[in-house]
Amino acid sequence: MGARVGIVGIGHCRFGNSSDYDLVDVIAYSANAAFRDAGGLALRKEVDQVFVGNMASGLFNRETAVASALVSRMNMEPCPAELIENGPASGASAVKMGYMAIASGMADVVLVAAGEVMRAVTGWEATDIVATMAHKEAEYNMGLTLPGFAGMVTRLYMEKYGLTERDLALVAVKDHDNGAKNIYSHVQLPVTIDAIADGPSANVVNNYVAEPLRMYSTCPVTDGSAAIIMVNMDSPKAKLFKKKPVRVAGIGSATDTHVVHNRADPLVLGAVKLSADQAYKMAGIGPKDISFAELHDAFVIFELMNSEECGFFERGKSFLAVRNHETDINGRLPINPSGGLKAKGHPVGGTGVSQIFELVRQLRGEAEEGRQVKDPKYGMAVNFGGFGNNVITTILAKD
Amino acid sequence: MIDFSVYGEQTPHISGWRCQNCGTIYYPAPMVCKKCDKIRDPTTNKGWEEFDLEGPCTLLTWTRVWNLPEGFNKKYLMFGMVEFENGLRASGRIELEGDPKIGMKLTARAVEADERPGKPVKVFVFS
Amino acid sequence: MAIDELEKKLRPPEVQLAPYPSKVITLASGETMVVRECRREDTPALLGTVYPLLGVAKDYYDVVAARMYNEILAWYRYRIANMFTLVGSINGEIAGIVTSRHVDSHLGMSLHTLTIKRGLRVGAQLFAAKMEHHLEYLKEDEVWIVAESPIGFKRWMIEYELEDRGSQYPAVRHELGGVPTFVLTRKLWDAVRAVKNTGTRPVAPEVLKTADKLTMPNEYVQLPGWKRNG
Repeated sequence: MGARVGIVGIGHCRFGNSSDYDLVDVIAYSANAAFRDAGGLALRKEVDQVFVGNMASGLFNRETAVASALVSRMNMEPCPAELIENGPASGASAVKMGYMAIASGMADVVLVAAGEVMRAVTGWEATDIVATMAHKEAEYNMGLTLPGFAGMVTRLYMEKYGLTERDLALVAVKDHDNGAKNIYSHVQLPVTIDAIADGPSANVVNNYVAEPLRMYSTCPVTDGSAAIIMVNMDSPKAKLFKKKPVRVAGIGSATDTHVVHNRADPLVLGAVKLSADQAYKMAGIGPKDISFAELHDAFVIFELMNSEECGFFERGKSFLAVRNHETDINGRLPINPSGGLKAKGHPVGGTGVSQIFELVRQLRGEAEEGRQVKDPKYGMAVNFGGFGNNVITTILAKD
Repeated sequence: MIDFSVYGEQTPHISGWRCQNCGTIYYPAPMVCKKCDKIRDPTTNKGWEEFDLEGPCTLLTWTRVWNLPEGFNKKYLMFGMVEFENGLRASGRIELEGDPKIGMKLTARAVEADERPGKPVKVFVFS
Repeated sequence: MAIDELEKKLRPPEVQLAPYPSKVITLASGETMVVRECRREDTPALLGTVYPLLGVAKDYYDVVAARMYNEILAWYRYRIANMFTLVGSINGEIAGIVTSRHVDSHLGMSLHTLTIKRGLRVGAQLFAAKMEHHLEYLKEDEVWIVAESPIGFKRWMIEYELEDRGSQYPAVRHELGGVPTFVLTRKLWDAVRAVKNTGTRPVAPEVLKTADKLTMPNEYVQLPGWKRNG
């Protein structure tokens, strides 16, 4: 499909609380890091197009038109720049736009930078802002929140397949284990299954957020950013970059009903399956070829459901694989080696690019000791734009 | 002549919608019919019929949410998804003593809620 | 009049409060925190732990630290009546401190909650322990509560559904600054106890021993770059 597109530079900041800093500075920080990784800041003049991913800067930060602001902050005028907003898939959509710009021939070098500063507002306000993705009349007005939807879907999954709260906690233990070794992770604290599930204080230490989901089954409110530099691998400009490109092998993208109660079956994430199948087809591979995956896990139930829709496990069986440690860093299919959104954090509009950053790091062999996937060939990222109603799947290859 | 009834006590209602061309029903309203492509003009709603969505329904799933958004200064709220006899589904708040059970029969009604700034909004309560 | 006589008059009347039975909580990290009541010999470690936070303006740490320093010092010097201090410690290192006063058999006056070790809900656990002491061991009927941080306070206000007695101001006002107050009644406490209060008793002697001699943290997340020992 058009030119071959590769990633030649990546940057990331420590996720956590950046509310003392301006959003555009936070995004530019990662963009600077991506240029340094690519070979130096002088490469800025080679960029033909900038895409910025951000979900709700108007609400969190009272700043809009953030792509235009970033170009100036980086002294990159007159480079073309657009803001890409797709809820919490803004990052993956911005990467998709970067791919499309290069594949179409309209650009040879693209900077994709994404981020969010959510902690500029209180936790209650952040919950409200995130809830605005839901249908205004039929969901948002009711007072429903994203954790609320996740709680309801988790209950259905438990009833149908026998998933337990302990299984959700096992996933969190794995994610925190990985996150503890990730220098960019928001939460770098390993948690124990005894403390959050089995022990006498677990009910209070791991309190309910949206029953049956508990605190350690939901991601934190995070600030942060990530950036990548994409290049037409067959253009002369590709030679300007010092590192071997990591190729974008496949991208898939699909939508589902906006209103969650109108899903044909709320336990089927149809958009995930469709987008994953599209990405596999474009890459010419199947689920068995995937070495590791970063699966959108704002709620731990999603990591499980996504892994099934991507074809890694039969529907309703993924948590059995978790019990067998198949998705641990040393398991047969590591999932969320970065710590996932659960431990690494979820700066909503920025997450999609952070997932790609992790895929590149793993495929280059640059991950920290103790969480480097062994000899990876293909990495997959699934990024949600809403409650599973807008999904982008990206597959990268180490050629 | 003035319609003085608008000053009376208004019982809130939430509407389901019917495409009068093919009879397909919806909640919430689309802008084009999925089945027959008939468009809906929200300024006139010509060719579309509103009907009250309320009464007996079956609980599909539920949750108790402890971290509520800004403006909802309560410890928790219960929410659920229900299905009406006509096949339409809805999301809303549950008011019950104790834990709900999937499959239980509830009654849906609409109330006004004003936790957020601006005009009050209509909300489903299942009890 | 002899100084000793005057000293007696300056001290609050001596009252033996019912002791707080120590408990242990396993935090999310798997670390165990011992929650126990403080003794006079803990004063140096308590004051030394609070002191560096006087300089942290962020998140209201400065005013909470200043007021808690005052409370602990006044307690040590017998210049505050019926105060108790609970400490949460992990392997002896102080993770959080709470202070409070038993006003009389009906009323508790919550003073302060200071979290040293962040990210593990230590403050939430110790606040609940404080309420547990007031209502279950000191057997008061209600506890008056205010806070310096509006965000921190809003969490308590919502999670405990505290009763707002602001309309009864100034007849009803909190000792801390004489401001309008919120109240945790026994009924409100009973409604949240199961999800807020936890801990295992009795504490095994070898575990309790680790909390015997309290140590001060060498570093604070709240004070990047600062070290107690050079």
